[in-house]
Amino acid sequence: MKRRFANIYLIIVFAILYAPIIFLIAYSFSQGDTMTNFHGFTWRHYQTLFSDTRMLAIVANTLLIALLSALIATLIGTLGALSITRTTKRVTRESLLTLNNVLMVSPDVIIGASFLIFFTMLKIPLGFSTVLMSHIAFEIPIVVLMVLPRLREMSASLLDAAQDLGATTRQLLTHVIIPFISPGIFAGFFMALTYSLDDFAVTFFVTGNGFSTLSVEIYSRARQGINLEINALSGVMFLFSLLLVGGYYWIQQASQKRRQRKREVVS
Amino acid sequence: MKRLISLIVGLLAICGLLAYAGHHLQASSGSTGSKVLNLYNWGDYIDPQLLTKFQKETSYHVNVETFDSNEAMYTKIKQGGTHYDLAIPSEYMVAKMKRAHLLQPLDRSRLTGLRNYDPQFMGRSFDPTNRYSLPYFWGTLGIIYNDRFVRPGTVNHWQDLWSGKYRDKIMLIDSARDIMGMALASQGQSMNTTNPQKLRAAEQKLTRLAPNVKATVADEIKMYMTQNEAPLAVDWSGEAAEMLANNHHLHYVVPSEGSNLWIDNLVIPKTAQHDRAIYAFLNFMAEPKNAAQNAEYVGYATPNRAAKALLPAAVRDDHQFYPNTTTLHHLEVYRDLSPTQVGLYNDLYLEFKMHH
Repeated sequence: MKRRFANIYLIIVFAILYAPIIFLIAYSFSQGDTMTNFHGFTWRHYQTLFSDTRMLAIVANTLLIALLSALIATLIGTLGALSITRTTKRVTRESLLTLNNVLMVSPDVIIGASFLIFFTMLKIPLGFSTVLMSHIAFEIPIVVLMVLPRLREMSASLLDAAQDLGATTRQLLTHVIIPFISPGIFAGFFMALTYSLDDFAVTFFVTGNGFSTLSVEIYSRARQGINLEINALSGVMFLFSLLLVGGYYWIQQASQKRRQRKREVVS
Repeated sequence: MKRLISLIVGLLAICGLLAYAGHHLQASSGSTGSKVLNLYNWGDYIDPQLLTKFQKETSYHVNVETFDSNEAMYTKIKQGGTHYDLAIPSEYMVAKMKRAHLLQPLDRSRLTGLRNYDPQFMGRSFDPTNRYSLPYFWGTLGIIYNDRFVRPGTVNHWQDLWSGKYRDKIMLIDSARDIMGMALASQGQSMNTTNPQKLRAAEQKLTRLAPNVKATVADEIKMYMTQNEAPLAVDWSGEAAEMLANNHHLHYVVPSEGSNLWIDNLVIPKTAQHDRAIYAFLNFMAEPKNAAQNAEYVGYATPNRAAKALLPAAVRDDHQFYPNTTTLHHLEVYRDLSPTQVGLYNDLYLEFKMHH
């Protein structure tokens, strides 16, 4: 009985979470031009989407910014987390962490405006590079926060054991620490990726000179009412993220099986 | 570790691919050459086919970048770091940008389409000699009613909204200047009044409207009205056009005693770089055929008299969106008021909202 109640609860929660997305995608097939009534099936909105080269260029830009900034932010953030845990003086460590957290909680608008002032003061023309830099900057604290708990979980005796067995510092990092914290690194990377994909406030301030991202474009279409081309785009993006999650799952399954087989061979 | 490195390499490869794709897409629409024009516009506020046509005729490629509010656009241009050749602010923002010295004057000798514009929309208070701006689209503030609940022809004036029949039936757009302006216009006052007594009287009149007001909302008004949630609403013509397109029971009225006239304008920011392209574009957009095509795409009213003549009669003679000359004469453009005066408008409006 209890089990069944739990299942029903789960189904309701997921239905509520996914309903708006499904609703949105369903309307991308509607023959009408708005989301008030469904008017029969058509691929028309997908056709307009794929012939809209400006929109496709913006999609490519957005994905490029997201992947590249998440990658760089993950590298820097992981190194940052490593050095924060290595700091032995408590005061320094705590203040480093606090500085990191202040960036996490300060509003995007403030960060965006300050970046705009900063870049224009340095006379850096707004565009791809400024968007990339600011995205990296606001993603680093997220990565640090995702990696830190894994580092804290790691027991010191693990490192001692490795060193006793003759591991050099380099081997310690590549063979012990990084494999151990890699779930945190992955989580950080994906969080950074999603933050970058849907950031509007910061991006708006630092775009310019013909460079734009999806969130900025969609927001500025709102004055006219968003047309169903955006729905079609959402459909494509949703499919894309499904594939991404599926791919990640498949890789994990495969590597787990490989590891299991190895273990069997050893034993 | 090896897996991590191969993943990084893979991601970098994807990045390279995306960069190539993005570059290629932009190049296929020709935006990387030197013959470009950077247009800073509202989202979806120009027919993309016109941009292709412009490129074919003049070989200038138009880079469109978009903004979602006048204030955001102002900030971006004021801060520098961008090179927009043309921007499209609303009328009060033209005045503000002019005062901040962000605009370049137009060179009239290079404009060929000036006589196509309707004098009604030229020389308005925000730019008396059109030294800096050319009208792009215009519209009004008015009343939307649903003929399932309100008999057509019974609502023609602001005063009609105060009728006891419409208890809890009206939706208002949440905008201090517009709602205060509506109350002022209903009393025969100017919508730009700065006289505190007249403003207070308007606020008192608004308070009497409170029992009729169902809600004061923003963009959602469109959705509510299309779904027959309320019989009456006060909103801008651009929004009204969209509601009418989705619900045939809706109608739009501009009260003949006076209302607001808003105009979006083409201006040249100080940061502009492509002089030739700018004038080519301004002249291209002033051509009746192109302006008419744009008006049909966007659905707003065009200030281009010659273009209006080319629109289908059903659109051209639609008094909802092209009001007759008498009404047009009574329309007022909002003057750019001083911060204290704007503050007074806002305070009084807030008092009304609190009563309500």
